[in-house]
Amino acid sequence: MNSVRLKNYRCFRDEQTAKLAPLTLLVGDNSTGKTSFLAMMRALWDVFFEFRIPDFKEEPYDLGSYDEIAHHRGGRSGRADGFEAGFSDKFWMGRKSEKFDFDVRFGKSGSAPIPVRTRTESKDAWIEDNFAPGEPRKVRIGTDRGAWENAATPESDDPYIIDDRFTLPRQLPVRFYLRHPHGLNPIGDSPAPGQEDVDEAKNLDQPRFPLTAGSRPRRPFASAPVRSKPRRTYDPSRAIADPEGDYIPMYLARVYFSDKKTWARLKDGLEKFGHDAGLFDEISVKALGRRESDPFQIVVRKYGGRLKGPLRNLADVGYGVSQALPLITELLRGRGAGDMFLLQQPEVHLHPSAQAALGSLFCRTAGRNRQLIVETHSDHLIDRVRMDVRDSVSNLKPSDVSILYFQREGLEVKIHSLGIDGEGNILNAPDDYRSFFMEEISRSLWRR
Amino acid sequence: MCAIIDANVAHEAFGENATPAGAGFRNWINMGSGRLAVGGSLMREMEQSAPGFREWAIQARLSGKMRVADDGEIANRTATLREAGLCRSDDHHVIALAQVSGARLLYSNDQNLHRDFRNKLLIDNPRGSVYSTLESKDFSRNRQRQLRRPNLCASAS
Repeated sequence: MNSVRLKNYRCFRDEQTAKLAPLTLLVGDNSTGKTSFLAMMRALWDVFFEFRIPDFKEEPYDLGSYDEIAHHRGGRSGRADGFEAGFSDKFWMGRKSEKFDFDVRFGKSGSAPIPVRTRTESKDAWIEDNFAPGEPRKVRIGTDRGAWENAATPESDDPYIIDDRFTLPRQLPVRFYLRHPHGLNPIGDSPAPGQEDVDEAKNLDQPRFPLTAGSRPRRPFASAPVRSKPRRTYDPSRAIADPEGDYIPMYLARVYFSDKKTWARLKDGLEKFGHDAGLFDEISVKALGRRESDPFQIVVRKYGGRLKGPLRNLADVGYGVSQALPLITELLRGRGAGDMFLLQQPEVHLHPSAQAALGSLFCRTAGRNRQLIVETHSDHLIDRVRMDVRDSVSNLKPSDVSILYFQREGLEVKIHSLGIDGEGNILNAPDDYRSFFMEEISRSLWRR
Repeated sequence: MCAIIDANVAHEAFGENATPAGAGFRNWINMGSGRLAVGGSLMREMEQSAPGFREWAIQARLSGKMRVADDGEIANRTATLREAGLCRSDDHHVIALAQVSGARLLYSNDQNLHRDFRNKLLIDNPRGSVYSTLESKDFSRNRQRQLRRPNLCASAS
């Protein structure tokens, strides 16, 4: 995603657009909507790629019901009767990239927010699908030659409840509607759709209905701010992904026992980060029996100069190790990992040097094919990103980093898109950005 | 709103006994719309003149309040200015910094540098403005008004 738009959602009343990059850092005071922003990113992904009704209570987010999610100023101004969100992105057609916009309007069904309209637009072509419960479903399509409306739709029951509780009515590729235009009525003076309209509208289908198998991105990996507590001993079970990283020891054990090549590569990456962060120098899996079903332990070793020291159980080392392990494993595991990471305060429990190392890891792992959206309160992490970009330590360029500053303005929050230049300077910062820190350093140096 | 502070007056803003005019200038950066441009040898001179500057600069940089210009670009521009021979002062690097960063406010008490900074042939679009404490160290209304002026920055060249 290149940018995200929000309106009347949680603390974001006025429509605003936030610029995203391969590495996007979300910063700002507590309770300024950073986590809500992450939740909406996953929700947009669910609607766009999986035609799924997003669950705003799905872990690791819990935004509550519609009444908590739609913007509410309190008093007479009431609650918004809907909220909107959307994103812009590019997709590749051979060597050429094409921009498209996708927007969703959410309404209310019972106590839950549900999408009631989606709109996809690219160049002069667009398709809009209206499917509010109890109303006739309407699909509208437009190109620069005209616009058409699908009138052959039956009165819509509540499709969400009858069909599949979590699925939106399936939209067909635009080219299908235009090639079989029997049910399409022209809007205004529009001519009947022709081949040129099919050609123009094909851009809309590419990102949502990719022709290449496997080109659809994986669902974003969303981590919780606090990961699961380490256990002394693990019993093998299926590694089912969860935001707290409970599955990571199972995953490590499975790779360790069944795929030596992948384990060697993963171990190398984990140990490099562990060393840079000062967390550990060696990591391994210790089997407590001969059978695959026997329990195992995750063990790490921190060298003391020339002395290697003992392997220690994950439960016997600092909490930072077990808290960082799920994130760094996900980032380093390569094949099978997500294309988009939504991370909440990955620095929790980490020493400043480890926070900085995490910044370097983000710079190394973010890129065109992998987007990291990181909510953070860590100066050390941000400063390391700034320096790594300036010093070209990774492939990340200044334009590959976006800093979104969530600024409280009365009852609302405004998102500022900040950038970094080639000298490591922070660009476009509003006057009060980090004013707390400026006040603190001034007081420290010059008293009041 | 970009400004440059001459190392010779850095203690007025970033020293232990800051003057009212210096503290006002510093607060304009800390809490207001001011941005400080530094780069080249000026950065090193500032660190020597005002011991607190280095610590302040770390936070100011993270806060987007201070921007560091590319040393190589400053050096090239300084050499060009020397060759051109238009400067009356010996602070070619300060003029070079203004040209590179777009800063159009100079805090300095060097009168030769004042003339250079106001020289249309050296600093233009918009013209340079000088914040001087030669006559008074007060944070007077005129000074406050000067810091509120909207045209203290040019697009960096």
